[in-house]
Amino acid sequence: MNYLNYAAAVFLLIPIAAIAINNICPKPYMKKNFHTLTGTVAVFQIAAAAYALCAMNANGLTAYDFSILSNLKITGSALFRLTPVSLIFLLCIGMVAFVSVAVASKTVESMRISYVNLLMTMLIGMNGMVLVKDLFTLYVFLDVVGISSFVLISLFRSTKALEGSVKYLVISEFATIFILTALAFIFMQTGSLAYQDIGGVLEGADGSQKNLIYLSIALLIAGFSIKAGAVPFHSWLPDAHQSADTAVSILLSGIVIKIAGVYGLFMVVSLFPGVRAVQIALAAIGVASILTGALLALRQTHFKRIVAYSSVSQIGYILLGLSCGTTVGLIGAVAHVFSHAAFKTTLFSNAAALHEQVGTLDIDKMGGLQSRMPVTSLSSVVAFLSTAGIPPFAGFWSKLLIIIALWTSGSAVLGGVALIASIFTCAYLLRLQKKVFFGETPEHLKNVTEVKGGIKFVEIALTVITSATGILFPLVLIYLQSRGLI
Amino acid sequence: MEVIIYICLALLLSFCILAAMSQSLLKSAIFLAFASATLGVILFVLGAPWAAVIEVSACSGLVTVIFISAISLSRIKKEEVQKLYADKKQMKYLPYILIIAGIVIIVAALAGSVALPGTAVESTEDFREVFWNSRQADILGQIVSILIGGIAVYVLMRESKD
Repeated sequence: MNYLNYAAAVFLLIPIAAIAINNICPKPYMKKNFHTLTGTVAVFQIAAAAYALCAMNANGLTAYDFSILSNLKITGSALFRLTPVSLIFLLCIGMVAFVSVAVASKTVESMRISYVNLLMTMLIGMNGMVLVKDLFTLYVFLDVVGISSFVLISLFRSTKALEGSVKYLVISEFATIFILTALAFIFMQTGSLAYQDIGGVLEGADGSQKNLIYLSIALLIAGFSIKAGAVPFHSWLPDAHQSADTAVSILLSGIVIKIAGVYGLFMVVSLFPGVRAVQIALAAIGVASILTGALLALRQTHFKRIVAYSSVSQIGYILLGLSCGTTVGLIGAVAHVFSHAAFKTTLFSNAAALHEQVGTLDIDKMGGLQSRMPVTSLSSVVAFLSTAGIPPFAGFWSKLLIIIALWTSGSAVLGGVALIASIFTCAYLLRLQKKVFFGETPEHLKNVTEVKGGIKFVEIALTVITSATGILFPLVLIYLQSRGLI
Repeated sequence: MEVIIYICLALLLSFCILAAMSQSLLKSAIFLAFASATLGVILFVLGAPWAAVIEVSACSGLVTVIFISAISLSRIKKEEVQKLYADKKQMKYLPYILIIAGIVIIVAALAGSVALPGTAVESTEDFREVFWNSRQADILGQIVSILIGGIAVYVLMRESKD
């Protein structure tokens, strides 16, 4: 168990150590090697999450409590908890952070020290959110993620970036107000915000107490939906994604909306299991997000805006999985978090490659780049197929689980909507592929060459991850079946 | 005691609205300090003296000093700020509407005898015990929040090299 304790501490202590190293070492050296430090932190996180997942499985553990400073011998002193679900989220955080760093090595030319500081604080915030055992502490770390995101979006201080970041900050503050108000109401009922004290709060509550708890649940769902960029709270997302540097867009779309939003909603579902109002609300927001995101993506001409609206749509699928309230639904939702992290970061890496080599992200000004940028083109096609839920890629299995969960929980109509909405996904991504990579190459793009370095590496790595996850996913299903989970 | 809380709630609401709607940054900072001080009184009356002390000293004191220092360091002239807000003139009655609406809600709450949260039961746990053991994770989060605040000020307020 000692090694598991060390692995657990990695998630909070290594980013703090990285901030210290980043600010102590000579600036010229750090500016040149910023990607080595941050890349190492991300690799440590991926390795620690993978190790902890294997160790917990080998020891038959479903949860592992740990603390980084206080004495574990004192009862109740453990403040953090590792679970298989939190470890999958931690794995995704590490993976997306690594991709962001690889892309930043090409796109971030100034403010590298600040980028590292902010990325590490964001990492602490996201890791903290998935590790804590108390709603108030979750709120504190949520704010850490929110402020880091705001500064990262505006890091290079272009007018558009400042506009996007202010929009994000203002809307995000509404989310934190909703969540904090909900916490106050829950605290009034329970006298504690620890997860174990909140579970079952609805049982034994009288009429007015129940109303207050339902109001709290509504506020929590609204707050976390804003953070997730779900419809009707999505207006900040495309602007923030488009205006930020691509390395930051990767973080926002690849992981921030999932940790700050989806993980929060996952906790709501876990803390208030079987509450019909929660399921209906999540299903309604999910369907609205899937359809609105896909339809709006069809109208866009900016590569990053299309991918941003695609995120709104895909978040809808995750919410539909959560709305089932069944184990299969939750597994489908978590699987889609992972597969979405992989294919969405691929698409944003493609955006970075195109911006570097072509100089624009307006899809109307591109065309025929397949022969000029074969790696970018192939990885983009794989990401598109995974997004659309085409077998054998990762997105197929996660969407399949969500649709099966909807079907088996008596929501066949919603399952049908999720299935039909994949046609819209195909439509906007086919349009994107056709305009960017296929057709005749315009004269001004004849000299474009394939991107090199970190971006090319992550494009290949993510394509392998998306394909391998899809091909090996049946093994995961066999394992889950052997544990009686599906 | 309840009367003090309701008066403070009305004052808190008024100060917050005035802070948000004021066209002068300095006045906004001062109204915010008053709002924090009023909140401190509410916390004290509700039996949370530690929270009240931190609210008054940190939010009402320290943060106001930082705000006023930052405002005095900024070079933007008052006329320029007013020019920026020129198109917001039509909203000048909004604060009064909001204040009246808030007072109506408070009066309605009084009339409806909405129960206030009970004053805190004296804890058997030592403050240090709670602070360092039970809420240690919060402290880590708060330290990181302060760190980001510092980075944010550096990133957003630095002189542009362009």
